[in-house]
This record gives sequence, C-alpha cells and structure tokens, in this order.
Amino acid sequence: MKHRKKAGASVVAVTTAALLLASCSSGGGGTSSAGDGTGDVEVWAHQGKDTEVAALQDAVANFNASQSDINVKLTLVPEADYTTTIQSTSADDLPDVLELDGPTLASFVYDAKVAPIDSYVSQETIDNATVGNVNQGTLDGTLYALAQFNSGLGLCANGEMLDAAGVSYPDSIDSAWSADEFLSALETLAAENDSGYALDIKENYGLGGEWGTYAFSPLLQSAGGNLIADNKASGVIDGPESVAAMEAFQSWMPYVDPDEDDAALVEGRVAISWCGHWLYPGYSEALGDDLVILPLPDMGDGTKSGAGSWTWGMGSTTKQGAAAGAFLDYLLNDENVKAMTTANGAPPATESALAADTLYSSGGPLELWGQQLGAGCNADSITDDCVTVLRPLTAGYPVITSEFASALAAIATGDDVQSALTGAATAIDQSFADNNDYE
Amino acid sequence: MSNPTAESPRRRSLRWNRRELPGVAMATPGIIGLLVFVAIPFLVAIFLSFHNAQLNSPRAPNYIGITQYTRLFADAQFWRALGNNLTFAAVVIPVQTAIALGLAMLVNQRLRGISVFRALFFLPVIFPMALVAVIWRLILARSEGGLLNSLVHFVTFGQVGPQDWLGNSATALPSIILLSIWQGVGFQMIILLAGLQEIPQERYEAAQLDRANRWQQFLYVTLPGIRNTLIFVVLLTSILAFRVYDQVYILITSGGANRTATQTVLYQATTSVFDQNNLGRASAITVVFFAIVLGITVIQRRLVRQESEA
Amino acid sequence: MTNAQSQRARSRRWRAARSYLVLTVLAAAYVAPAYYLVIGSFKPAADVLSGLGGFAPQHLNLDNYRSVFDSLASDSTGYFWQFMTNSILISLAVVVVGLVVNSMAAYSFARLSWRGRDKSFLLVVALVIVPFEAVAIPLLFMLNDMRNSLLVQALPFFANAFSVYLFYTFFLGLSKDIEEAARLDGLGSFGTFVRIAVPSAKPVFATVAILTFMTTWGQYLWPSLVVSNPRYRPLPLELSVFSGQMPVDWGEVLAFGTLLILPVLIFFVAFQRFFVQSLASSAVKG
Repeated sequence: MKHRKKAGASVVAVTTAALLLASCSSGGGGTSSAGDGTGDVEVWAHQGKDTEVAALQDAVANFNASQSDINVKLTLVPEADYTTTIQSTSADDLPDVLELDGPTLASFVYDAKVAPIDSYVSQETIDNATVGNVNQGTLDGTLYALAQFNSGLGLCANGEMLDAAGVSYPDSIDSAWSADEFLSALETLAAENDSGYALDIKENYGLGGEWGTYAFSPLLQSAGGNLIADNKASGVIDGPESVAAMEAFQSWMPYVDPDEDDAALVEGRVAISWCGHWLYPGYSEALGDDLVILPLPDMGDGTKSGAGSWTWGMGSTTKQGAAAGAFLDYLLNDENVKAMTTANGAPPATESALAADTLYSSGGPLELWGQQLGAGCNADSITDDCVTVLRPLTAGYPVITSEFASALAAIATGDDVQSALTGAATAIDQSFADNNDYE
Repeated sequence: MSNPTAESPRRRSLRWNRRELPGVAMATPGIIGLLVFVAIPFLVAIFLSFHNAQLNSPRAPNYIGITQYTRLFADAQFWRALGNNLTFAAVVIPVQTAIALGLAMLVNQRLRGISVFRALFFLPVIFPMALVAVIWRLILARSEGGLLNSLVHFVTFGQVGPQDWLGNSATALPSIILLSIWQGVGFQMIILLAGLQEIPQERYEAAQLDRANRWQQFLYVTLPGIRNTLIFVVLLTSILAFRVYDQVYILITSGGANRTATQTVLYQATTSVFDQNNLGRASAITVVFFAIVLGITVIQRRLVRQESEA
Repeated sequence: MTNAQSQRARSRRWRAARSYLVLTVLAAAYVAPAYYLVIGSFKPAADVLSGLGGFAPQHLNLDNYRSVFDSLASDSTGYFWQFMTNSILISLAVVVVGLVVNSMAAYSFARLSWRGRDKSFLLVVALVIVPFEAVAIPLLFMLNDMRNSLLVQALPFFANAFSVYLFYTFFLGLSKDIEEAARLDGLGSFGTFVRIAVPSAKPVFATVAILTFMTTWGQYLWPSLVVSNPRYRPLPLELSVFSGQMPVDWGEVLAFGTLLILPVLIFFVAFQRFFVQSLASSAVKG
C-alpha cells in the first residue's frame, strides 16, 4: 500500500511540474524570426458574415496566385469561439498570421502570443494606416497589429417617422441630442407608434457580450465617466457620472424593442436604431432616403462613440515573419481593403482607401461617422474634441468588458445601477491588484 | 447499493497473488483512465485553486494561499449562483422524478401503440443541450413573436401581453427549469418504467381483492415495488441537477437570460477562466462545487441506508 | 355475456379512450418544441419568430439547408460531411472502447476480489461527481501536444465513472450460479466475463452505449478547447457558425440543428423499440 501511495503522489508531482513547465515554456515572447520569405504561411481568421468570408478567401487565393514563393493557408474559426480558441492555444501552436478583435490585443501581447510586426510589414503599409488604426495596434510604443477596417457607431433613424412625430433631430456631431432630449424623443415616438416602442439597441446581439461594451461604454465617457482610469475602476465605472449615464440608459428600456428578428427599424416598429456600420447597407436599402445617420446622445461632455474592430497580428513564435509581413502588406493594399469594406460596409482603416471611399468621405451618406473617426482618441486621454474612443488598451480588458457588459445586461433588466456598477468595479480592481496592474 | 463482497483476508504480501491478477488486470484500464483523465486533473485543479494563475500565460502561477476561497465566500454573486444551483436542484429533483413517474405509469398501460408514446416522451433526451437551449430561446423569446408569448396571448384572448420570460428575474430560473425537465425527464421515465414492469401483477390483483382504491394501490403496491429504482433515479437526478451548465451558459450569453437569477456555480467557473482568464478562481469554484455535491450525496446515501435498516 | 361483463368491457374501453386522449395531448405538448425545430428549418428566418404561426407548414423551402451547406464547403471553413464523419468516428470510438474498458472494470469490482478493490471502487464512485468543466483546463495542459486530432477528443472520455457504476449495479444483481458453474467447468475470470456475464448484460451494454453516444455527440466545451483545424472539428462546434454570429439567422440555425440531430434521430427511429426496451430492461436494481 505504501509503495502505491508514493507512486500516486509522484504522478501528481510530475504532472504538476509538467503543468508549470508547460506554462513557462509556452510563452517566452519575441521568438519570432523573419525566415527567408518563402514557404507556407498559416493564417487564422474568424468566420463572420458570408460576404466577409468570401472577401478574405478571395484575397488569399489571389495572393497565392500572384506569386509563387509564399503559400498562404487560411483557417476559419467560428466568430463566437474565435477568441477562446486563441486563448486555449499555446503560443507555440499559434499560426504565423492571426486576426484579433482589437480590444483583446493587449491581453495577447501580455500573454506573449503575438509578435511586433513593424519589422515585417513594410513602412508604406504602416504609414498608410489611419491614426486610429495604428493606435489600436500599438502598445507601449510597439506596433503589434494593423486592421483593414475600422468601425462606425451612431444612431440610424427613420427621418420620416421623426418628422411625422414632430421630433427634431441633430444634423451634426455638435448638435447631438442631450440625454433629456433623447428621452423625450423616445417618449413621443413610442406614443406615436402602434408597437409602443421607439428604440432598437440590438438587444438580440446580447448586451452581456462585446456589443454591450462597444456600443454603450461611450455613454459613460460622454457623461464624463469612464470604464477605468489609472488602472482603477472604483470611483470611475461606478462614479456619479457613470451611474448617471447608466440610469439614463435604464430609463430608455421601456421604449426598447427586443428586436429578436433584427428588423425593428426596417419594419417600422421603432424610429431609431443604435447602429453599427454593418447595419447601414440593409437599412439603406429598406429605408432609402428616409434613413438618417445621427450621433449618439450627448450625456454632458459631448457625444462619444466607439471605434476599433478586427485587426491583423502575427503569432509570437512565427518563423515566417517576412512572408507573413508580405501577406499583410497585400491584405492592406487598396484593392483588398476596398473588397472587404464593400463586403461589410465598414470604414477603411488605410488613408488611401479612406480617401477613395464614397460612403464616409465628405458628402457621402456616412460622412458623420467619417468625421467621428477623424476625431479619435484612446480611453486614457479623452479630450473635449474627441468623439470616437478606443476601448482601453490594457491586458486587463477581458475582465473590464466582461464585468461592464454583465452589469449593463443586469441594468437593462432593471437591477439597481449603482450596485451593479460597484460590483463590476470591485471585480475589476481585484483582478488588476492580483496581476500587478497587468504591467 | 449493496457492498461488494468482503475483501480477501490475505494481505501479507505486497504484490497481488495469482488469483487476484485477473481482477486487477480487468480493472486497470478503467482505473488508469479515470486517474489520468479525471482524478489527476482534478488534483491539479485543487493545486491551482491556491494560486493566481492564467491560461497559457508566460508567468508561472503564484501561490496565494486560500485567498480564492475567502473571496468566493465573501462574494454575493457566488452565493447567488450557489443558491440558484440549490433552487434548481430542490425543484428539479422532486418535480422531474414525479413527472417521470407519472409518465412512466401512463406508458405502462397495455395499449396498442404504447411504444410510440414511450418513444415520443423519450425523444428530447437525444437532443444535445446546446440545441435545446437554442430552441427554447426562441420559444421563450420576449417579443410578441415568441411562441410562448403568442400562446399566452391566444389563450387569454389578448389580455396578457408579451413577457420577458428569460430576462425577468422571477421567471428566468423557472424557465430554465422547465426546459431542463423537458429535455431530461424521458430518461428517468424509462428507468422507472422498467421498475414498474417488475412489479408482479398479482400484487395489484391481491390489492384489488382487498378493495384498495387506485390511490391506495399506488401507495401500498407501486411505490414499495419501485423503491430501489426510485432511489436510483433520485441519486442520478441529483448529480445531473447540480451539474446544470450548458443551457445556462448559452441562454445568458446569447439568449438574454437574467444573469443574476440564472447563473450557476459551473457557469461562474467557466466564465472566470474564459472571460476573465482567472484560472485560480475557476478552480476554487469547482473544488467547492465538488465538496458540496459530495456532501449532499453522502447525506443522501446515509438517509437511504438508515431508512432501509429501520 | 352477463351484464357485469359487458359493463366491465365498456368501462375498459372507455378507460382506454381516456388514456389515449391524455397520452395524445401530453405527447403533442411534449413534441411541439421538436416539431418547431424541424418545421422552422424549412422556413424563411422571418417566419420562425412569428408566434403560433411558427407551427404553420407554409413557405417551406430548402434555402436554409442550402446556405448551411454553402457556409461549410471550403478548405478554410472545413466541409459539412467532414464534420459529420469526425463526430461519428469520435462517438463510435468512445462508445466501443468505453464499453470494453468500463464493463471490465465494473465486473472486476462486482465479482472478483483483489486487494485495494473496495478503495478503488470508492474512488470511482467519488469521481462520478467531478464535472468535466472542473478538469477541462488541467486536461488542456496535459494533452496540449495532441491538439488537433480525433484521438484527443475521445481519449479523456473512454473511462467513465458513471458507466462503470451502471455496469457495476447490473453485475451485482446477476445470479452467481451460472458464473460459478462456468468456473467449475474451467473458465477463468476473464472467460467467465466474456462468455457468461457479457451475454446476459446485453441490455445494460445497450443502455450505456446509447447514453455514451448521445453525450459524446453533443460535446462542445472540450473540442472548442483542443481543436482549431477544420479537418478535425466535430459537428456541434459548427453550431456557433450560425447561432454565434450577429444577427442570427434563425432559419439556418434550425436547419443546422436538424442536421445535427439527424444521425441520432435516424438511429433512434430505426432502433426505437430496442432502444426503449433495452433501457427499460437494464433498469438498475439499486
């Protein structure tokens, strides 16, 4: 018996040691190398809309056909599992090139899963990226990722319904509705509509997921609050400004259509939709000239909006840096950026493609969102002029977004705002304290 | 369950003798599998629960003692999750067993085509829980287009408007209980049906001669006759009921279910690791979970044993 | 025929009619969600969430199925039939190996005596309680080198404490007489197990096989952690291609859901009689 017990104990010890070793060796960081610029390049991306998938598959096929040195092999993982897949894959097993959701980048840098790309991607490509694009991909002065497109967020409304209800609406960033004006607009519109609703906040996307943080944390910042400041959430995410913003949000809920069929605006059940750029093509087709694009409500400190989207980085252990960089150069050229933004309606994240774009440039239907993106900033340096705020560039972001979005979902179903936000603040601060502020 | 036959008295030598070897050999693959893929990982989870650790991080776990546990016990959300687990179990165990027994008695009649009905009641058991959650998310949808809302509207002649079944804290957990029972009850039904079929028909005939009515027959013939099967079903349902996770996870993340009102302990464990990358906390949660379910199982067994000795 | 007899016959017929009525109403309510799944898979997405209209068999077409197959038909996304094949292979492997490993262990616990047996069995019983979610992450570390294979998806599930427990209770309840006779005829422990215990345990083998197949078929968490290569992905992971993408196209989700349970459903309908009866006759004697 004694012997067997000992054997059992040593199995445990060995496993534990192996586990520790595995967790030590899986990182390391900075082990990427350029390679000779030929051979296979493995690429991972999320499997999103069919049109986006087709644009990416075409880009890969065209790249492989355009030259004979490099062969790109694309793997698509369903969007819902994509980030978990990267998380559960050790750095050694990650591909040469991988797509990342912008705000998760810092946590993957922290886990040494992505490599700096500035020595592999050409300088022209970097210079051609928009400021917001470079900001999203830069941590501590090092560039880790570049995106093909940015994102636009605001209100999409049925102008005819607003006019019919006698609700006047803003025509520029500066004239955004105040919180009170927005609420009274909702009251009026709901009373006019047989559905009893006035607003669609894309509840069908799930407020408790990334949509919640992307779309509604700008409200905090517009009120003068924020998600986090100086690595501290207490007094910020649950400060009086943030609480006021979320109380206003809660007061809109009676007018919100559940929108389970994703058609509330199109079918006229609501007059206003909390709206991401990807909705524009469908709305525009359904409403035609009646569709108006408005800024999000101004909670006091000027309207704020979201920015950032999927971006491209490289696995930290890639031995194909040069070839991977060549592929990223190709992916970020005008032709491919245009193909992708045509497929998903997003604002291009390169200067040359943005200049050629007809939607977001001056005079285009989404000019307002173009202007918003032109006035961008990071979450830790919000100025009065800034409109689009990137989600916080910290490795603690997964905790921040999970806590905020959960609180938001609870607030939407009627929970007390202060206690929901304070709960989030406590959890975020605990996580930052445990991990030495994710430095 | 009864005890295995008494252990062999010969235990002097350190190695198994030849007579014992076949037994050891036959049990070995299973035991090794369970040790390597369940017991050892679980020991690792216990180890991790005393650390601050992340998934696939370049930093080694650092020891923080029982901090994860003291935090858990001070966390209102954790208690809420545990409370939801207990409520779920407290409702599902008796209700699902009762419904299963009712259905089993219904399909235990000698009627033509009864096997079709048995199959229909068993059908949901073959549905993966992920799919069940998706179907019920549509049924419970909070718009007028939701199946249940539409039904309520129809039945009440439009007097009752659409309800947010999953979002409302009062109806969220009952909704999850409902769909869980729908999916699982067929399995218990079949086990109980087997128990019912083993009761000799003569006992019912004897009871009828004694002028026992149907309720008395149920109390004095049926229940004692399926006592052991019932105990098994209750134990089984308890273990499964505490494990509730898939449907909760899917409905909270993509079905608009009220998180506070529906989250369970295992939901907290997985979100801790996948949303917040807090492996230590997740491990502590699963260890506490194991301890609680173990405790409840032991108590249940004690009660059962005492009763059978009494 | 006496008056009393005809009265009894009439009351029996009336009772049967009443039973059929109750059974039919219950079964209809019970099967409604499944019907909703299947009928919805043939409808445009807008029709799915149209209240009771969701039940109406109108606007039926195959568009949803077409787009499901179209979404899963390239090297980068993987192919539908590949996923289906992977799932079938994994499930069958877990069932077959699991039946052998767990029944042998159970028989050893129930019938053979060896030192450490009772303690080992206690361990098995305790392990029934450990939920897979608790061990998934440590397992991920241990099996990291086997990522992206079919084996890694099956390996942790071969030995199953609950299956051992089901077999164990059944073997305990078997009459010992035949086994002892077989032993007197010179059959060893293993021979007795194979020739005597296994044949009489057919129903419990069927039960465990069915249960194992169904739980393995629905696996989601583990494959999502260890598989990224489409070549090795099992079918359920692809559910999130349709349900995890905003906005959700409910028609496609239901079509995929129907395809997901189709193999199990065919299996179930084909062996329905055997299925239910075997489950019933393996009922555990407690």
